[in-house]
Amino acid sequence: MIPFTKYLKLTAVALIGLTLCAQGARTPQHIDIKQLSKTVEDVVVPLPNEIFGALNKLGAVNWKEHVRSDKGTNFTERPRIALLLGTVIADGFVAVQAEDAAAVKEIGQRVLALAKGIGVGNSITPHAKAIIEAADKRNWEAVRQELDRTQNSVQQAMNEVHDEKLSQLVSLGGWLRGTEVLTSVVTKHFSTDGAELLHQPDLLSYFQTRLEAMPEFKLPIIREIEDALVQVKPLIDVGNARIPQESVRKINEITTRLGYGIVTRD
Amino acid sequence: MNAFVKTLLCTSSLLTALVVLQPAILASVDDAQSFALQAAEPYVKEGFQVREDYWGGDLGSGEKKAVRQQLFKGNEYWFWLGTEVDRAKVSVHIYDSDGKLAEESDGWEKGHFAAAHVIPKTTGSYFIIVSVEESPEERTHWALVYGFR
Repeated sequence: MIPFTKYLKLTAVALIGLTLCAQGARTPQHIDIKQLSKTVEDVVVPLPNEIFGALNKLGAVNWKEHVRSDKGTNFTERPRIALLLGTVIADGFVAVQAEDAAAVKEIGQRVLALAKGIGVGNSITPHAKAIIEAADKRNWEAVRQELDRTQNSVQQAMNEVHDEKLSQLVSLGGWLRGTEVLTSVVTKHFSTDGAELLHQPDLLSYFQTRLEAMPEFKLPIIREIEDALVQVKPLIDVGNARIPQESVRKINEITTRLGYGIVTRD
Repeated sequence: MNAFVKTLLCTSSLLTALVVLQPAILASVDDAQSFALQAAEPYVKEGFQVREDYWGGDLGSGEKKAVRQQLFKGNEYWFWLGTEVDRAKVSVHIYDSDGKLAEESDGWEKGHFAAAHVIPKTTGSYFIIVSVEESPEERTHWALVYGFR
């Protein structure tokens, strides 16, 4: 005879199995993507550490050599500050990977100064403080979380005052710096899996569309980025093919040039 | 009452209504986000980094919404969907850029929470389909958060 507890367990297992089967049966195995076009929401731009995490799994990366000490110029044009802010936050994620407390603290202060320059300093002060405190304690997970919160708060504050375009420039600045670091790492230690991390054609199209809708920002760096994305697109939009080493190197050249342009006055 | 005063009264009433209603609408999406984050909580202990950014909105019963997301091979992702409507049933599923179901089999649906798990086989765009299967409300707020490790 089956003991009651065993009977109970077997029933529970059977029930869970049936529920999963029912759920699986209901879920279509295939959907028509073209039909979704009207209901698709905007993309959420991945944080640099999402890419760095995947990169780390491919082998040890010497993150220290990617930590940047250049603080960038003090700009007065808000679109330039927004781009630089995104770049500096991305630098924060690099410094966390390198576990460089001094760089993280400096970046925390720089983020606050830039946020003030763009008029959203109030919402960033607590995060900047938390970044510095967590770096002092070498609590890298907390620093990562605060950098994410910082970017989110900056963008929310911008969206609230209908500065969505500046908010998108923050994302773009971060993405460019992340791509610069990614291509630098993969150029030095090439692997097809590393190069595959560049396969982001929809994200690139998203940024292209956003930049096209910013004709009022008559800054050379914005137009330079727009032109550069046109050059990068065919290098990463390769369908099921592999991204070759030469393409990675070219993207690195382009993003390094843009990165220099973002931190330097025209 | 002349036309100017009438217009002024109408406009101010409309503005007052908007000011009063807006926090309530926002609060509901925020509530939905709290539930989505609640679903994510146990996974943080397993090393998942939950993003601050999220998607949200409202859907009628039986309606779906697609969210496009760039995922990276090598990472592992969970997507958590939540709504503040107690008796609602929601679901979330993940498809690759060809429209093929890409999720692992350990996704779950528990009333006003649902979650889907994916270990991407390739780096690229994926579609996260959120749906309000049933709800006592005409429109149901939803929020989707995700985490990776």
